[in-house]
Amino acid sequence: MRVQGGHTPPPLSQAAAANMAKKNKAKLLDNEDDGGQEEEEPDFSDPEDFVDDITDEELLGDLLRQKPKETDGVESVIIVDGVPSVGAERLDKLKNVVRKIFKEYGTLINEFYPTNEEGKTKGYIFLEFKDRAAAEEAVRQRNNYKLDKQHTFLCNLFTDFEKYDNIPEEFVAPVPEPYKDLGNMSYYLLDENCFDQFSIIFDGGTTTAIYLNAVPEAIEIAKRERWTETYVRWSPRGTYLATFHGKGIALWGGEEFRQVQKFSHSGVQFIDFSPCEKYIVSFSPHVDQRSEEPQSIIIWDTRSGQKKRAFNAERPPIWPVFKWSSDDRYFARIWEECVSVYETPSFGLLDKKSIKVAGIKDFSWSPTDNILAYWIAEDKDVPAKVSLLSIPSREEVRTKNLFNVADCKMHWQKCGDYLCVKVARYAKAKREKTEVKYSGIYYNFEIFHMREKGIPVDSLEIKENIQAFAWEPVNNKFGIISGEPPSVSVTFFQVNKGQAPTELKKLEKRPCNNLFWSPQGQFVVLAGLRSMNGALEFIDTKDFQVMMSTEHFMATDIEWDPTGRYVASCVSWWGHKVDNAYWLWSFQGKILKRQTVDKFCQLLWRPRPPSLLSTQDIKDIKKNMKKYAANFEVQDKMRYSKASREIIEKRQKQMQTFTEYRKKIIEQFERDKEQRLRLRNGQDTDTLTSNENDYEEETVEFLVKKETVLVED
Amino acid sequence: MKPIMLQGHERSITQIKFNREGDLLFSASKDPKPNVWYSINGERLGSYDGHSGTVWCIDVKWDSSLFISGSADQTMRIWDVETGTSNTTLEMKTSVRGVSFSYSGTMIAYTTDKMMGHNSELNIIDVREPNNVDSTPIMKTQVTPTYTKALSVLWGPLDEYVVTGHEDGSIIKWDMRTGKEIQVGQEHSKQIKDMQLSHDGMMLITASKDTTARLWDISNLEAMKMYKTDRPVNSAAISPLVDTYPHVVMGGGQEAMDVTTTSSRIGKFDARFFHLVFEEEFARVKGHFGPINSICFHPNGRGYASGGEDGYVRVHVFDDAYYQFKFDF
Repeated sequence: MRVQGGHTPPPLSQAAAANMAKKNKAKLLDNEDDGGQEEEEPDFSDPEDFVDDITDEELLGDLLRQKPKETDGVESVIIVDGVPSVGAERLDKLKNVVRKIFKEYGTLINEFYPTNEEGKTKGYIFLEFKDRAAAEEAVRQRNNYKLDKQHTFLCNLFTDFEKYDNIPEEFVAPVPEPYKDLGNMSYYLLDENCFDQFSIIFDGGTTTAIYLNAVPEAIEIAKRERWTETYVRWSPRGTYLATFHGKGIALWGGEEFRQVQKFSHSGVQFIDFSPCEKYIVSFSPHVDQRSEEPQSIIIWDTRSGQKKRAFNAERPPIWPVFKWSSDDRYFARIWEECVSVYETPSFGLLDKKSIKVAGIKDFSWSPTDNILAYWIAEDKDVPAKVSLLSIPSREEVRTKNLFNVADCKMHWQKCGDYLCVKVARYAKAKREKTEVKYSGIYYNFEIFHMREKGIPVDSLEIKENIQAFAWEPVNNKFGIISGEPPSVSVTFFQVNKGQAPTELKKLEKRPCNNLFWSPQGQFVVLAGLRSMNGALEFIDTKDFQVMMSTEHFMATDIEWDPTGRYVASCVSWWGHKVDNAYWLWSFQGKILKRQTVDKFCQLLWRPRPPSLLSTQDIKDIKKNMKKYAANFEVQDKMRYSKASREIIEKRQKQMQTFTEYRKKIIEQFERDKEQRLRLRNGQDTDTLTSNENDYEEETVEFLVKKETVLVED
Repeated sequence: MKPIMLQGHERSITQIKFNREGDLLFSASKDPKPNVWYSINGERLGSYDGHSGTVWCIDVKWDSSLFISGSADQTMRIWDVETGTSNTTLEMKTSVRGVSFSYSGTMIAYTTDKMMGHNSELNIIDVREPNNVDSTPIMKTQVTPTYTKALSVLWGPLDEYVVTGHEDGSIIKWDMRTGKEIQVGQEHSKQIKDMQLSHDGMMLITASKDTTARLWDISNLEAMKMYKTDRPVNSAAISPLVDTYPHVVMGGGQEAMDVTTTSSRIGKFDARFFHLVFEEEFARVKGHFGPINSICFHPNGRGYASGGEDGYVRVHVFDDAYYQFKFDF
């Protein structure tokens, strides 16, 4: 073992010097009190009763810390277990083998092979590297290294022995964190009028506000400047509002939007909540090179704020890297031709190993069941394949082979009843070096009926280019936008049991590039966003009646409220620099509010958790809708009349003030009349008709009609 | 009703003005020839030929005998309305940005630009002898650098003071005798583009680049109302029938240099009508395909005219619906 030594005594440290100075000063003061014996040599020796109450630690603590310790250098030592036990005659050979195995991690400074009485090595050895990093790397890489059939190296840092040695015998239970009452985090669901909340960011991102979408005017609940540095996100059930900061993420909630949690992750860019809000995943491209642990992706426990596990990310990551099962129990990602499924709350790999899937391109979870769907690209003669895997059993519940596949996109219906795989197929493929060029692309929709026995698959072929696809969130309809602008058509299909999807309606030549279904289904908004000037069409898919055809010029975003009662159309400053505004519409396309906001950026409705009502309850409510509706209408009417009464009152007051003001003005005007007459040579010009006699008659000719008549010669 | 389009200018309109009776409409533009038109049928009576640069500002005397124009050619000219001849040309050091006849018509106030090392000035000259004008100002005030430059000017009701509108959005009332500042109105945050009086001269409306127009009491410069739009306001006017139809009209629009695609939809080049008391917009008139630079009511309150960056002047007469529309209160 090497001990660092050979230090010359260092100069007095600062702390020591300061303390010495203190002592000396005290003495000098004593001398002055004695009374001006200037010539006398000052006495620096301690008085006899002086007790040195300064410990060495206090006096030169910083020096003591530098004092070489016996254990210095120990951290670069590792212990390797499981080394073959050999006699002296074969020791050199063994040493050579060991050196070869470990040399790539750094220079070996020292090696020690303990021997027993018979001169044979004991089967464990000590190796010292040039520094700690090399030792750690060696341990990481060569632990469990199989030398041969009988011998597997077990590598440990020497310092770890001390650590594990010092584990106290008795278990000390951790002290539970004191409970912090955060109030009712779900208070917003208890609003007696069932108004929804939404957040907006404006002033180019500097101000964030939360509004209650009340009738007839939205009510501001909270407004803060610099609440977030980039944007905000609601958690999927609406409990938390997440804000982004240089140092990490903050969550806000409760009635006053107080900070309820924060997660320190420097340079965070993206976050993702698990569907039940139990966990939050954050990603940051900033990586501290000195740290050994992965830091790009961190999974946190939302309520405790604890870091659960960290991962490295490929760069740049395709967000979200991890996808969650609907019940928060599993999360998965693609990693080196594998699907790695992790379990919660242990955060370990499910069954300790990834699912090997060669050629996997993408996967997704069913929004309601623990079923994972993935697809594999074509590889020469092996066709592409879509598979459904049940987790945790890893049982393949359905696979479907597909041919001539250029690309696949998976769309789950929100209730998990159907999975639609949009397959882009090609007529010809041309290989150019590493890239493959496809031509004659056409589309197939493969629809998996998840709720039927054996999961039958329907197929639907579309020859045109597909611009957009969207499932009705409930029920069994979907809509597609197909064709090339400007002749874009919208087609709605219905999925049926035991037969191919039927076309319900085709709307030709529509100025749209997106379709947005109401969260409750049935109603859909066709929108021509951005380049298409913001044309909006509100359609009832029960009878495909166009309820409203309108526009919000240059709209960039459409957001349905979680209940499907309102739609917001936005012109975001992020997409368009003028006329930034959000407009609120009823689901039928009636304009309710045009709100112009300076440098408005983003509007997000606060989500609601799934309804707790049973299907029967919902049925009953629908049945008695008329009864409730009458009630609500009365309430709405009262609110509107109150608002209009307020406006009328305000106007009356304004008018009264103005009339009084005008009266004063007119009086003043009359008083000034004489002066005015004097200024204009006695002519009264107060009104247009006051000096009618002065008018001169003038003839003005009008060209009424122009006629050309050909006169015969 | 279909508006009358006055096409006589080669470049964008800078200012338009009715004479007191409203039978004549004067227009000035960035081309050097101001025009005068019959407001009733849009027939052009003639033009005032003499300037060699943009004509920034015009005014007409109450008895329609004299017409003045201030130009970027660094002159101000006084014209005979009827003959179109220029009796007097006053040479300046910089462009003339605002001109105004006093109530009596015996004095002219004008403001000059700050350019080439010369300061912006407010001057008043005596024009009792229009054919023999003494170009020495009877009142002279240097505006810059104490204040920002004055781009528009008008007279108070009884020839006692003048009000100037400034580049920083302030308006300043000056004593016409001493040239001293009496009051400052600081409400707008950007340049004042236009100022107009109510027909009785007691109220003032200012149009500003800060997208608003404001109504002031001229006697104490108290800001009374604000009319908010989402585009720069270049001009605003108060209806002469203010006690029966308390309306204001505003014109403006996105400046061409500020938009990438100058579609008239995005520029919002509409004339907007606001209720003077409630500050609420109740009507818009489309038509121009560039920002409106100048807008005014016909003195009888039964129509209005607007002049735009597109070079056109549009003369409108109100339909019956205009008189029927009433706010609930």
